[in-house]
Amino acid sequence: MAASEDTVAEGHGSLYSRVMARVADELDLSDRAATRAVILFVILGFLGLLAGGVTAGIVMVDNQQRVGWVNHTYEVERHIDRLRLQMERLEAARRGYLLDADPTFRMIFDDAEASLTHEVAQLSALTQDNPAQKATVERLTDQTNRLRVMLGASMIARSLGLDQKALEDFRTDGSVQMARGARTMGGAMLAEENRLLSARMTTQRRTVNIFYGVLTASGVLLLLVATASILLIARYVRALATSRDSLKALNDNLEQAVAVRTRDLRRANDEIQRFAYIVSHDLRSPLVNVHGFTAELERSSQTIVALLQRVEQEAPHLLDAEARRAVYADAPEAIGFIRTSTQKMDRLINAILRLSREGRRTITPERLDMARLVRGIADSMRHRMDEIGAQLTVETPMPEIVSDRLAVEQILSNLIENAVKYLKPGRPGRIQVRGWLEAGRAVIEVQDNGRGIDPKDHERVFELFRRAGFQDQPGEGIGLAHVRALAYRLGGGITCVSALDAGATFRLSLPVTYVAEPTA
Amino acid sequence: MNGHQPVNIIMVEDDEGHARLIERNIRRAGISNTVHHLSDGSSALRFLFEHPEGPVKNGPALVLLDLNLPDMSGTEILARIKSDPALRRTPVVVLTTTDDKVEIQRCYDLGCNVYITKPVNYENFADAIRQLGLFLAVIQIPESEGLG
Repeated sequence: MAASEDTVAEGHGSLYSRVMARVADELDLSDRAATRAVILFVILGFLGLLAGGVTAGIVMVDNQQRVGWVNHTYEVERHIDRLRLQMERLEAARRGYLLDADPTFRMIFDDAEASLTHEVAQLSALTQDNPAQKATVERLTDQTNRLRVMLGASMIARSLGLDQKALEDFRTDGSVQMARGARTMGGAMLAEENRLLSARMTTQRRTVNIFYGVLTASGVLLLLVATASILLIARYVRALATSRDSLKALNDNLEQAVAVRTRDLRRANDEIQRFAYIVSHDLRSPLVNVHGFTAELERSSQTIVALLQRVEQEAPHLLDAEARRAVYADAPEAIGFIRTSTQKMDRLINAILRLSREGRRTITPERLDMARLVRGIADSMRHRMDEIGAQLTVETPMPEIVSDRLAVEQILSNLIENAVKYLKPGRPGRIQVRGWLEAGRAVIEVQDNGRGIDPKDHERVFELFRRAGFQDQPGEGIGLAHVRALAYRLGGGITCVSALDAGATFRLSLPVTYVAEPTA
Repeated sequence: MNGHQPVNIIMVEDDEGHARLIERNIRRAGISNTVHHLSDGSSALRFLFEHPEGPVKNGPALVLLDLNLPDMSGTEILARIKSDPALRRTPVVVLTTTDDKVEIQRCYDLGCNVYITKPVNYENFADAIRQLGLFLAVIQIPESEGLG
């Protein structure tokens, strides 16, 4: 029984771990591959997006710079235009002043001159970045200054009344040409700025195009990443569902396998029980004959003994020592041995029958007050204990359990009987019974101060027809085997703690509530 | 026993030794009725229902029945006897090694009149048979209806 239960546990264990390992493997493979692919793809996608973003940012900043430059060009152009305007104004004011020395012209001239100077300074500041334009501006400044001086001189001449001198100057000083030159220079600058502008515009357009390109690429990439991610996630989810299904199937299989095994084991156990029952019955039949005909033989030998006695009286010379020995000694001895052997065999067969019957008995769990149950057993043995001066104490409280009354009673009365039976002669017997709850199980201990059991025999005492120690008590070696079979039957177990001459403690562990084995 | 016709004892027992011991002890109890010994189920049924000396054709009888037979279970023979209109009043004594409660109940349910477990101990066994003999000496056994 013990062996078969161990096998069940082991069998379940290995089967379970095998199946679980397979499931884990399957899950692991698809899981790891899918996760790796998804993570790799997402990382790649986000790296691409990041690159797109950075590029867009760079292009954006660049573009802003370029727009700045374009604006700058417009600014330069504006100033050039204003410069040319002021120059026109300056020249017109002088011409007007020369014709009619109106102070208004003088004012316009002064104003235009100031504006011109301002514009030149502005232009000079604006064109610091461009060496070519800078040179032109320098020349323009120079030209403008000279023109201003020249025009200023003719203006002074006119104001002093040196009209002829002024007119002469107007005709000869080349100021008109200079002004035209300055204007041309402005035009050249304008052209240069326009060239710059168109170049800058082109660059800006290109930049904008690059920006759009990057944006489009990023968009496409985003779309790709999203699609691929969704696809992968969908596949992953599908794989997950598949592995969950297969896990469930495997789990079902496992349960089925366990159920099949349990059923097989139960069937095997039933088979053994039936086998034991049938065998012991069929063994009984010939035993009846052996017994019966031995008795018949004894009966016949009585007739022979009677005859022998008559012969001894009437014709003693017919008898020899051999005949006498055969009839008076050998035959009764043979019959005696046959008898004791068949009696012993009968007891053993009955023991097997009892065990097999116990195994087939239906367990009827009920609430048991262990303290009362133990006292009841002790009372039934009171007479015996008083005879040998043994004492039994029940340490209360004892736990209450739900189990089969008859089985528990048989277990405990066997243990207590043994304790009484194997006390140490000359030492007053002390038997203690105690119980407690431990991890959902009830533990009952029967402790004695008797002769004890050698640790090497602790397993042996529970085996059928095996006994240990000094054989001075009657018994067939059935009690503890029976106890263990019953304990297993109730879903419990029993162990022994003992040393020779130091008493023995039998520890019975039972489920607090008996749970019926599921019927296969 | 029966007024005008002696009761036949029909013993269905596959173990020759048991049969011999049973017969000896019946004789020792002072019963001298004819004992027909049959050692398997089918020949027992044939004798019970067809044989000219069988109870159907030849007067009252008492059946001693062992349950463990080589070719069929004794309960089957018991059922056949108890469901047959001609034989159902014939007393059946089940004498077997089985002391399984369920089996005993089943035999009584089928209509067995006495159930005796063969004790392994011969003294008890002989006692049981001798008591059965005393019992045979006093009981009234109805005529088999087959003759009626």
